[in-house]
Amino acid sequence: MQKFSWVIIKLRVLIIIFVILITGLLIFSLKGLKINPDIISYLPKTDNDVKLFDYIGEEYKGNSLAMVAIESDDIFDLETIKSINILTNKFKVLPGVSYVTSLTNVLDIKKLEDGFEIGKLIDEFNLPKNPEDIKNLKQYTLSKDMYRGRIVSENSTATLIVCRLNDNVDKVDTARKIKQLVQEEGLKQKVYYGGIPFQMIDINKIITSDLILLVPLIILLIIVSLLFAFRSFRGVVLPILTVVIANIWTLGIMSALGIPLTVISNLIPIILIAVGSAYSIHVIHLFKEKVKDENNKINQSIEALSNIAIPVLLTGVTTMGGFLAFVFGSYLTMIREFGIFSCLGVFFSLFLSITFIPALLTFFPVRKKQIKEKENASFFINMMDLIGSFILKRERLIIFIGLILVIIGIIGIPSVKRRVDMLDYFKPGSSIRLTEELLEKKFGGSIPIQVIVEGDILDPEVLNEMKGMEDFLTTLDDVHNPQSIVELIEEMNDMMGEGKKIPDSRMKVDNLWFLIEGEDILEQLVNDDKSEALIQATITNVDTERMKYLVGQIDEYVKSHNSSVVTFSQTGMPLIYQNLDNSIMKSQLQSLIIAICLIFICLLLMNKSIKRALVGLIPIGFTLVIILGFMGFTKIPLDIATVLVGSISIGIGIDYSIHFMNRFKEERKRYPNELHALDKTLETTGKAIIINVITVTLGFLILLFANLIPLRRFGILIAITMISSGIGAITLLPAAILIITKNGTKNNQSPKVKRITEDEEITEDEEIEVSVLK
Amino acid sequence: MKRISFIVLFSLIITGLTFCEDPLPKEKLSAGKILEKVDNVINAPIDQELKVKLVLIDKKGKEKENELTMYQKGFDKRLVKFTKPAEKKDIGFLSLPDDIMYLYLPAFKKIRRIASHVKNSKFAGTDFTYEDMEAKRFSDTWIPSLKNETEEQYILELTLKEGMKSEYFKLIMYVRKDNSYPVKIEYYDKGKNLIKIQTRAKLNKVGDYWISEETTMQDLKVKHSTKMIILESKFDNKLSDDVFTKRNLER
Repeated sequence: MQKFSWVIIKLRVLIIIFVILITGLLIFSLKGLKINPDIISYLPKTDNDVKLFDYIGEEYKGNSLAMVAIESDDIFDLETIKSINILTNKFKVLPGVSYVTSLTNVLDIKKLEDGFEIGKLIDEFNLPKNPEDIKNLKQYTLSKDMYRGRIVSENSTATLIVCRLNDNVDKVDTARKIKQLVQEEGLKQKVYYGGIPFQMIDINKIITSDLILLVPLIILLIIVSLLFAFRSFRGVVLPILTVVIANIWTLGIMSALGIPLTVISNLIPIILIAVGSAYSIHVIHLFKEKVKDENNKINQSIEALSNIAIPVLLTGVTTMGGFLAFVFGSYLTMIREFGIFSCLGVFFSLFLSITFIPALLTFFPVRKKQIKEKENASFFINMMDLIGSFILKRERLIIFIGLILVIIGIIGIPSVKRRVDMLDYFKPGSSIRLTEELLEKKFGGSIPIQVIVEGDILDPEVLNEMKGMEDFLTTLDDVHNPQSIVELIEEMNDMMGEGKKIPDSRMKVDNLWFLIEGEDILEQLVNDDKSEALIQATITNVDTERMKYLVGQIDEYVKSHNSSVVTFSQTGMPLIYQNLDNSIMKSQLQSLIIAICLIFICLLLMNKSIKRALVGLIPIGFTLVIILGFMGFTKIPLDIATVLVGSISIGIGIDYSIHFMNRFKEERKRYPNELHALDKTLETTGKAIIINVITVTLGFLILLFANLIPLRRFGILIAITMISSGIGAITLLPAAILIITKNGTKNNQSPKVKRITEDEEITEDEEIEVSVLK
Repeated sequence: MKRISFIVLFSLIITGLTFCEDPLPKEKLSAGKILEKVDNVINAPIDQELKVKLVLIDKKGKEKENELTMYQKGFDKRLVKFTKPAEKKDIGFLSLPDDIMYLYLPAFKKIRRIASHVKNSKFAGTDFTYEDMEAKRFSDTWIPSLKNETEEQYILELTLKEGMKSEYFKLIMYVRKDNSYPVKIEYYDKGKNLIKIQTRAKLNKVGDYWISEETTMQDLKVKHSTKMIILESKFDNKLSDDVFTKRNLER
């Protein structure tokens, strides 16, 4: 370390120039940072169910539907129909929109006395003119399954205008233009926007506004706590500078690599600020302590850096380990990206803290001691004495309380729910949620569930099997509106005078098909060769268990009905949610195990004793149980963000144990027994832990202001983690150390452990402690 | 139904018959006069019998072929029978005056009367709309203005007449000077985007009439196109009214 420090300090000018250059370079790259609001795009391309889902989204155009829903007392009114017609025509000519389905533009097969008429439901050049026309239109529309509950709600209070967007167009941009056209129309009715293109607009907005709100807030908070702790210019500016540069580098590299921000990775700046500032704080603090002589500044700086580099590296590496745990085996690619870039960001903070910051510090004048800090410090020392004497006298009670909390936690764990549906990301009252509620209430939900049918689709036998599948789907509660070409064919068969059923010969189906071939709607229902068709239905937003049940039921039907003639396969969001759910459990376990192993190895290297390393894990183990129990009792579900908490809290929370055990190891060399050494450790490191817990906890609580629900949950859970692992480190850890090393030590020694430090050489202006590892 | 309307009307566009029309004179013509000549050129003969191949080309370049025979007498009597592919064979349409239309589906062995009000959307499978097919004179709907002129062509811009309805905002029409034949029409939607291009290639003189043996309509939005190829054409054969009966439709 001595050599490393020497190199850093010698090359300080070069380092500063290098950092400035890189930062300048990456600031430019930052401009290109994109947001990817398309949640679907993060599903793993290797999963067969996702492949199928993507295939359907592309082949049958389901992923590019932008829906405008209009709600009023009765949408069958002259004005509304007129507005729908105007909007339909305007949407139709938007570049990027390939076609529009609305009341005024939907395919209609109408039975006439001596024949039939195939056309549009409403003739746009001959709109209804009087209440009588409207009444007839309403009656006719609601009488047909093809429209009722699909394009018009059953009570005719809502209707949809569905725009299908072209491939390879900017969906967000097109959706924005659609929205603008609606706004220009100035409808009196309530308008909702649904479908992925519109959701993407909202998610874009949410990610941006969360960043704009949360980042300044958390920086402000860190500034305030740094001011409180350091009361100096460098103590505030340098840590902030570190995290700002680390953020520029991380986000700049993401941008340069074309990796966009997501609903998860917008956490990165916040995490880097809350976590990354600690490293430079430690360095600045030790420099303040060690560098006292203006004339001998360089040598003292080398000394200080070689003292602090290892503990800072160690805590940084464990934190990186917590993030790295996501890189292996995460289901969602956005979580993997989050893991990689958070890890990179922590690495940059670490790197800057032990190179750039020391280099800069050598150019600052040596500080004079400040009187004020002493009062502050002695207040802390007194407080820590109080806490210390309690902890060290009552180790059995502490372990007992710890055990009780663990038992309570374990009781809560089984009731931890998992939530994977993406609607849950948005707060109630947000436009995405409102639209979803409307679609659910009026149109049977918006979550797609699909069955792919392979076979000779125009074969009546296959059509009958499809009909059987649809009938089965209808029997399931929560599944609505199954739709396929079956209904169209039945309807046309009826027009030919043979009843509303599937024709009895292949020739007849072929003949009927001729009448509708090439209709827009068919693109959503059948492929070009007629060798594959789709049955589409929607499902209401139910919990994961219920979805699993539905998926299972459909799967069973699929298995029992697949034959040489027809093959069904299920896809759609419920199946993906089920995989996501399984993977959340799997990646939770996997990342926890990886994180614990990594941390255990670190502790083992540090302590060279398995027993001690295991003891070091106690606060983290305790915290995990508390967190999961808390989630169980407060019904905070495991979701794509909260699943991150486990490993991150291990990575960050272990720092307290590491600092504590390091200091303890040092102090043990100086003091005759564990008790004294622990008391001293509590007084120094313990105090630092409390300050750090408060700062980081407040930092993460800022996430409560986030718009995205998972971020809020993540914030509250990490905050609890920090408190729990911090308190665990200063109570359970010393108590456990006392118990395992106790051979009557406590009885022989005087329990009077107050102010052993009086004769100590540790300076009293040490308001922020760092583990002073040598 | 869109399909049906298309079948009934498309002959007007593919043949584009140049009947008894002299080359446009050398001196400057007004835009109105040019369009009038175009309208005269695109005029059906007394009767015709055509064998037509329809090629539908999707954006992946995949082609589908249909073949049919069509008999037409004047403007309002037509009989269309599909000959290919096998599953469409013998499907037929009969169109009589006063918008009366019959459909025959051989598998059902039944004739049904059919009706339609669709004008503005794409025909099933093809890239023509009902409006593209209408047996209307351009000058009834559009106001022409001469936009440009080359050695061989007049370029007309057609804008909608007041009170007329169209799916299009404007058309750009390229008219051959020698025979007043419109060889290319560009269609603009109400958003002023160019959405479709029709080209009439392989002009050939059959008897007294000019005929485009290959007409293509390209839909730029969905990247789909339709090619109509005339395989055989006979004009003024004095077709009997008996051809245009329900009985003949079933046969």
